[in-house]
Amino acid sequence: MKFRAVMIDAGPMREFTNIVTTISKLSKECVLRIASDQLYFIVSDENSGPAPPILWCEIPHSIFFSEYQMVGLDEQHKDIYLGFNSGNLARSLITLKSAKTLKMKLTKKQGPCLTLDIEVPSACSQQTRQVTHDIPIVVIPRKMWSDFQEPRTPQPDVSIELPTLKQLRTTIDRMKTMAAEVVIRASAEGRLTLQIKTDMAKVSTRFKDLRVETYGGPIDHSDSESETQINEDMSKVCHCRVDAKKLSMFLSADSISHNRTVCSIIHKKLVILCLQTEENVKLQCFITGIVY
Amino acid sequence: MDEETSQYYFTASMDSGKTLCSLLKAIQFQESAVFCALPEGLKFTVEEGKCVQASAYVPADNFTEYHVRDDVDVMFKISVAVLAECLNIFGSGEESSLKMYYRCEGSPLLLVLQPQSVYNVMTDCEIFTQTADSVLELRDEDCPEVAKLVLKAPAFLGLLSDLERSCDIIEINLSPEHPHVSIVTYGMQDRSCIEVPKSSDMVQSFSCEEPVTLKYQLHHVRLIMKALAISTKVVLRCSSNGLLLLQLKLEKEDQRQMFSEFYIVPLLDD
Repeated sequence: MKFRAVMIDAGPMREFTNIVTTISKLSKECVLRIASDQLYFIVSDENSGPAPPILWCEIPHSIFFSEYQMVGLDEQHKDIYLGFNSGNLARSLITLKSAKTLKMKLTKKQGPCLTLDIEVPSACSQQTRQVTHDIPIVVIPRKMWSDFQEPRTPQPDVSIELPTLKQLRTTIDRMKTMAAEVVIRASAEGRLTLQIKTDMAKVSTRFKDLRVETYGGPIDHSDSESETQINEDMSKVCHCRVDAKKLSMFLSADSISHNRTVCSIIHKKLVILCLQTEENVKLQCFITGIVY
Repeated sequence: MDEETSQYYFTASMDSGKTLCSLLKAIQFQESAVFCALPEGLKFTVEEGKCVQASAYVPADNFTEYHVRDDVDVMFKISVAVLAECLNIFGSGEESSLKMYYRCEGSPLLLVLQPQSVYNVMTDCEIFTQTADSVLELRDEDCPEVAKLVLKAPAFLGLLSDLERSCDIIEINLSPEHPHVSIVTYGMQDRSCIEVPKSSDMVQSFSCEEPVTLKYQLHHVRLIMKALAISTKVVLRCSSNGLLLLQLKLEKEDQRQMFSEFYIVPLLDD
């Protein structure tokens, strides 16, 4: 097993730091899958044993790294899976803000480590400083790889482009102080509604004129308690109730400069937030619906 | 005023709910407030025990549209925290226009908010209301005013934040002789005193005929600090029965004014 990668551009370094920081806010533990063409960050739900991942992030190496070499486990299994504390990596990358180069490699010190060699320019001389971080890792054995497969999700009922994440997060953060759960409702006509209900108040924030990516056909509301909206064809509206705190955490991904974000809803079951950047990074969050 | 809204007990709209939100937060030391819509403006009242009563006033000219039916009392209890969060739903960086509707007794207070910079989003809130408890009548017409001070709010805020937090009691001595104002706190092992002569920069006006000594719970006095932080000027009035009234004028960019008012009941000598 071998891994060595070099990053020399400031843009990708900043992006990489933002991605890792976002992940570290979501979860303490994180898995890095190193494949020949991409890096994957994978986060599983901490509380619920082997479950499909809740975060799936793909980083294509060609744009981020000027050098990228890896040798996998063996001929059949060409990947490497590493488990580590995401906070350790995020903290190590703080130095990256002003760095000239970053070298990442797999090393064996007291134990297996992901070693970061960061070259930082000095403020007062031509010489540079070398900062080395060794992050202890666990190599994930072959038989556990299946726990970290890309989640297979059913065809979404509605996929809709989201308004700016910052705006969305401000609203969710206000709602989160009032209620633990938020109902997300999306319609094939480009409307997105966030709603909370408590014994004190009912608050709905409605966005309209959003671009609809997919609409999976009429939605069955036969067993539904949802109230009918006037002037709205309910077969084109799907909804899902999710944990407000989780949603707010996922929306903190707004620090990653992104092209567009799409929210896909599988009626009453699942919300998938998918963020794509200029550099073809794809970050997906899976938030399971709360059903009573 | 069209036919439909004239059926409502109360309707109002304003261009930005931001100042209203900060005013509410300044008196938000209790979960619920009594909301009262009078022909001359809105009034929110919050009480702590039976010792402190804080009110926020929003005169009707702050609204672009303001209508209260004159044949009914528009008065109910509402959660200040929820109201403030709702007004702030688009974040503090965003100015959003606000409309308020209250149909009749027992119906929720409806808010419609729309940010000024983004066109495709709006929020509507239904905040449930309860029957209002009676509000304390602390003002006693028979007790004349014995002292009145006008102070600069930021300086008075600085003075209050300098006081030792662990003290229970604040003693205010006012006298026509030097040092006109002295504020004394008693701690576990110490006594500290701040003296403010009337020539001080923070005193804009001072009137006091006879020396008076008044004692209050420091915790009660500290409740006004949030309101001081957003105000320019504070008027302190003491009545002969020791009741302290603080009137604060909110800092605002436009010509319109909003106010807050605190009544604090004195500690009795033992």
